[in-house]
Amino acid sequence: MKSLRKNILREIYNTKSRFISILAIIGLSVGFFSGLKAACPSMIETADRYFVDQNLMDIKLISTVGFDDDDIRDIKNLNSVVDVMPSYSADLIVTNGNTDKVARVYSLPEKTDTNSKVLNEPVLIDGRMPKKDGECVIESYFMNMEGYKIGDTITFKDNVDGKSTDTFVKSLSYKIVGTVESPLYLTFSRGNTNVGSGTISFYMMIKPEEFNYERYTNVYVTTKASQQGLSGFSDEYKEIIDDETTQFEELSSSCINRFNSTTLSDAKKKLSDAQKEYAEKKQEAENEISDGEKKLYNAQKEFNDKIVEAEQKISDSEKQLSDAKTKLSDGQAEYQTKINDAYNQLVDAQKQYDDGQKKYNDAKLQYDTKISQAQSKLNAAQSEYDRQYNQFYNTTKPQAETQLTILKAAIDLCNSEIDKTESKINDIQNAVGVDNNSLLGDLKIKLNEYRQKLDEYQKQYDDGMQKLADGEKLMSDAMSKLTAAQEEFEKQKADGAEQLNDAKSQLDSAQSQLEIGKLTYENAMNNGMLELQSAQAQISEGEKQLEQGKNELETQKTKGQQELKAAREKLTDGKYEANLQLSSAEEKLNDAQKTIDNLEDAKWYVYSRDNNAGYSGLIQDAQRVDSIATVFPLFFLVVAVLVCLTTMTRMVEERRTEIGTLKALGYSNMAISAKYFIYAAVASLSGSIIGTVLGLSTLPFIIVDTYGIMYTLPPTKLVIPWDSVIYSTLTGLLCTCVVALVSCFKELKIKPATLMRPKAPKPGKRILLEHITPIWKHMNFTSKVTARNLFRYKARFLMTVIGVAGCTALIVASFGLKGSISVIAERQFGEITKYDEVFALSESGTSSEKAYLMSQFHADDRFSSTLLSYQGSTTAYYKDKDKNIGLSIVIGDDQKTFKNMFDLRERKNHKHLELDDSGIIVTERMSEVLGIKVGDTIHFTIDEDYYTSTVKGITENYAGNYMYMTPEYYRQLTGREVEYNMVMTSLADDISDTEEDIANDWMQNEDIITVTLMSETIASVNDMLKSLDIIVFVMIFCAGLLAIIVLYNLTNINIAERVREIATIKVLGFYNRETANYIYRENLVLTVVGALVGMFLGSGLTYFIINTIQMDMVMFSKDISIFCYIMGFVLTLVFSLFVNFIMYFKMKKISMVESLKSIE
Amino acid sequence: MMKNFVQFENVYKRYKMGEVTITAADGVTFSVDEGEFTVIVGLSGAGKTTVLNILGGIDSCDEGLIKVGGKDISHLNEKQLASYRRYDIGFVFQFYNLIPNLTAKENVELATQICRESLDVDTVLDSVGLAERKDNFPSQLSGGEQQRVSIARALAKKPKLLLCDEPTGALDYNTGKTILKLLQTKCIEDGMTVILITHNQAITPMANRVINMKSGKVVSNVVNPNPLPIEQIEW
Repeated sequence: MKSLRKNILREIYNTKSRFISILAIIGLSVGFFSGLKAACPSMIETADRYFVDQNLMDIKLISTVGFDDDDIRDIKNLNSVVDVMPSYSADLIVTNGNTDKVARVYSLPEKTDTNSKVLNEPVLIDGRMPKKDGECVIESYFMNMEGYKIGDTITFKDNVDGKSTDTFVKSLSYKIVGTVESPLYLTFSRGNTNVGSGTISFYMMIKPEEFNYERYTNVYVTTKASQQGLSGFSDEYKEIIDDETTQFEELSSSCINRFNSTTLSDAKKKLSDAQKEYAEKKQEAENEISDGEKKLYNAQKEFNDKIVEAEQKISDSEKQLSDAKTKLSDGQAEYQTKINDAYNQLVDAQKQYDDGQKKYNDAKLQYDTKISQAQSKLNAAQSEYDRQYNQFYNTTKPQAETQLTILKAAIDLCNSEIDKTESKINDIQNAVGVDNNSLLGDLKIKLNEYRQKLDEYQKQYDDGMQKLADGEKLMSDAMSKLTAAQEEFEKQKADGAEQLNDAKSQLDSAQSQLEIGKLTYENAMNNGMLELQSAQAQISEGEKQLEQGKNELETQKTKGQQELKAAREKLTDGKYEANLQLSSAEEKLNDAQKTIDNLEDAKWYVYSRDNNAGYSGLIQDAQRVDSIATVFPLFFLVVAVLVCLTTMTRMVEERRTEIGTLKALGYSNMAISAKYFIYAAVASLSGSIIGTVLGLSTLPFIIVDTYGIMYTLPPTKLVIPWDSVIYSTLTGLLCTCVVALVSCFKELKIKPATLMRPKAPKPGKRILLEHITPIWKHMNFTSKVTARNLFRYKARFLMTVIGVAGCTALIVASFGLKGSISVIAERQFGEITKYDEVFALSESGTSSEKAYLMSQFHADDRFSSTLLSYQGSTTAYYKDKDKNIGLSIVIGDDQKTFKNMFDLRERKNHKHLELDDSGIIVTERMSEVLGIKVGDTIHFTIDEDYYTSTVKGITENYAGNYMYMTPEYYRQLTGREVEYNMVMTSLADDISDTEEDIANDWMQNEDIITVTLMSETIASVNDMLKSLDIIVFVMIFCAGLLAIIVLYNLTNINIAERVREIATIKVLGFYNRETANYIYRENLVLTVVGALVGMFLGSGLTYFIINTIQMDMVMFSKDISIFCYIMGFVLTLVFSLFVNFIMYFKMKKISMVESLKSIE
Repeated sequence: MMKNFVQFENVYKRYKMGEVTITAADGVTFSVDEGEFTVIVGLSGAGKTTVLNILGGIDSCDEGLIKVGGKDISHLNEKQLASYRRYDIGFVFQFYNLIPNLTAKENVELATQICRESLDVDTVLDSVGLAERKDNFPSQLSGGEQQRVSIARALAKKPKLLLCDEPTGALDYNTGKTILKLLQTKCIEDGMTVILITHNQAITPMANRVINMKSGKVVSNVVNPNPLPIEQIEW
């Protein structure tokens, strides 16, 4: 046996990588599983321990009428009750600067008697508890958030929605002496109230004596349920509490009966007496008033009659006057018309005269011109004539006469010559002579010459004579012409002058007529004017008289009115006085009535711990973690076990020869298989232990602490989930060991001789692909080898693919979860709701005040749009009243603006939804929780009344649950107007003021109670969701780790199995890289196939996880981004490459000598 | 034909097994001529496999000088050794070491695809008498046939040196004989230098040279001028 033990130890040492990978896989999954599984119970245990330590109440009683000591005694006598603590609380308004906050003021928990424990004992965080009046402790969270310090003072507003603060507590300011955490509050939600802004900001505690109540407001009770040591979250506890609740409800009716028969009936009797007295006094007062009113009425009537008479007179005079005025104005008009006509005529005449004058002037001018022209012509003719005459007689004629004289002389000479010559001729002739002929001839020639000359001279002379005679005739003609012209001219001149004179005389007569016309016109005008003026004067006189009359009347009237008014005032005063007295009396009576009404339907409310803020949230959160802790690691474990299973099977097969040898040596089957059994057991057990220790010491703390950010809880108390630890360990152990045994026994069935021979390797086979020749032919050699190898070991193929796919799926799911969480804020507050700031309005405003406020909002140009809206909380259910959900009703007064603020749309196709007046639109998460669809009717409360509506649409929404409707629909539904209580605004794009500036500006307005900045809401939503991030990171980390280990293991097996093959090809001369490629090609294909499968698997896993862990108030995005798939795929490949890289060195180290030694 | 084609000079190889050091090769010195059929013979543990492994480049020596074809292979790095194996050496194993998932032809191709110049796969398979069986997987072949594939795989690479490690060790007498015949034929006809190790003294007459080893040392290195054909040897 010793050698067997050694054998095991050596085996472990020799195959340490295999051993470690089994150990790591089992460790990782068991640790992951138990670690996550521990988170939920640890969280619950931590809370439970806290409740026990602080002695948290089991039942809280609230009565509409409070409790007295008799009630407390009766409660104490119930046999399930362990301890009772009566106490007080009030919701008061705290002023700090310009913001009002609502504080819930509790009385400090105190012991009821010396041997009991304090209930709901607050944990003192800092400072001390109040010791005297005027001191308080406040919750530490608020203290840190708001920057109060110990020693500061909390100051209350002097009234709470109109009710004086001193009806609740004794003083208005309390000094902070310490900070506490109360077990009543697990989360930072402080709940709602019906005063102030409606949201409680913080709680504080003062001494019980400081309350001004006559009766206790709440009673805390511990019952046997919690004192038996049951967990407050267990079902048994809840059952017991349910029973006890019934007991309290039964008790309540007897207590209420007692109250009704004593306190209430006394009060009623007092009230009815007072009412009677009031009625009598009221009657008396009313009688007096009615007398006074009657008198006043008569006086008024008389006065009115007289006034009417006087006014009639005035109006008559006014009519006369107005008639006269009319006449006057008619006369004026007539006068004006006539005057105008006359004037026009006159003007026409003047115009005619002027025209005539002008014509005459023109004619005269023409005449003068003509005459002067004619005169000058005549003158010119005269002077021409004179000139010619002068020339002719002075020059031409004398010259001609001279010439003529000369010519006469010449003629005479010639004649004489001729005569002489003739005489000579005759002489000669007569002298007969012979020789005389020549002389004669000469003489004859001479004679001819003389004769010729004479003719010529004669002719010239005649001509000259003729010319002279002509000239004389010409002159005498001109003379006669000139004379005729002169005569004509004279005649014309005389005619023109005569005509002009005629015209002149006509004009003169016209002028004198015109003068007469003018004179007549002026006379007529002056006369008319005078007549009119006298009429005007008469009218003025009348008016003056009328005015006097009117004034007289006015004076009289005013006087009378004053008298009447005084009388009336007196009466009103009296009436007011009486009414005041009466109404104050009535108010008192009403108050008394109201008080009694309130007392009338006295009711006790019995609350369990579920009512405490965060109590049910905690268990939900814990369960959510638990559901992640179940789904995710279970899948994880499945992958791990599968891989270990493969590993063990392989290992046993490898040791076949050894098994054969041992068997041949005579070792029993048990002894032989013990080795593998122990090997597997040691690996998985030690893995489980290490994993459990690591998992439990980290994961629960990380997760609970992260959730702790949202809860006020003491440090985490670890609860070891033994069942999960044991189950997961056993699963790992069983799978590895049983597989080891089964495969061992399978081998052992074979005869030792066969075993000792090497196992015939699984025969090579043609694969399907080879028959598809076109593809096969085109594959290269190594691809063919790879393909054949892949299909040869189908089991290994499947195992690897499943293992890798599992890892990929886990990574995809982790990222998918992260993605679906991280988009919530962005989608919700960017795409769906678009407002930036929400202003809560004070309750008291009337609709006109709100309209005025809205006009102020519209005027502020820092807002791009503003919407007056209503938001109120409600509870809705579908069919099962117990399956209900809390949500808000949202109504916008203007549907167009509403659409700017809310994008109501269907998630899948982004189809926009329209609100109409026939139903409501609800948010998607709510529809999922209640299981409703479009067309269903749901029931919900408004002010404690139930209403039923049809769901018209389901809108995409991530944070919170809402129900949208139109104001008109609200009216139809409830019969009331919507009481708008908030203003939603979106900010304009280019403003220099910060959101805070704007908020602070508006907080100065006294109608604004609070301002919510959406940026802060986004931040807080993100904070809340961040707590889920840590789990997602744990998931991503673990999934990655698992992927690496699984891939390492699978590759390791692959290499170990093929070590001979690897050695062979190395001997053949393959380089290391070629060898690696030869092996990795297969791995890579398997990894890729696995990763692809894993992407599908991851999609399903993500949906499953998201559906499991969703909260009622938050919807996770259901769109898995492609990024998640890519991440899953890529990371798997990266891990695979990383593993291959590591394995490369291992492959390099494979010794050819060792591997090729004859098979042992 | 090169003289002293393979040379071993004072080669030492020591294995450390815990605190014990085993000297597998203790100053081995011998030489083999080209084209010779050499048989290294010795008992189990005589160091003959070590010598063959070192010669084949799948193991290294601690001391000494080894030359093959005039090339020093005792100081090669890993990559150079791989090249040496790839181009210069053909190895035939006792257990054939065929890749079970490849057909006879593909097993040969596995070798030829990485060589610069190789013989035609079909021709080689013909020459070892496996023309009919080349599309069969190893599991469909008998031991002798598998060893023929193994030899074909070694020869197809056109190695300078064919190393055979007990090639008949896993075979019956007749099959063993045919394998030895094949190897002898290859040596004589193709001039292949063959070094074969065996513990079987009976087959030494077929060799040109017989090297006897004992306890990591070469005891004798005898040249046989007249090797017998294998058919004439009985054992």
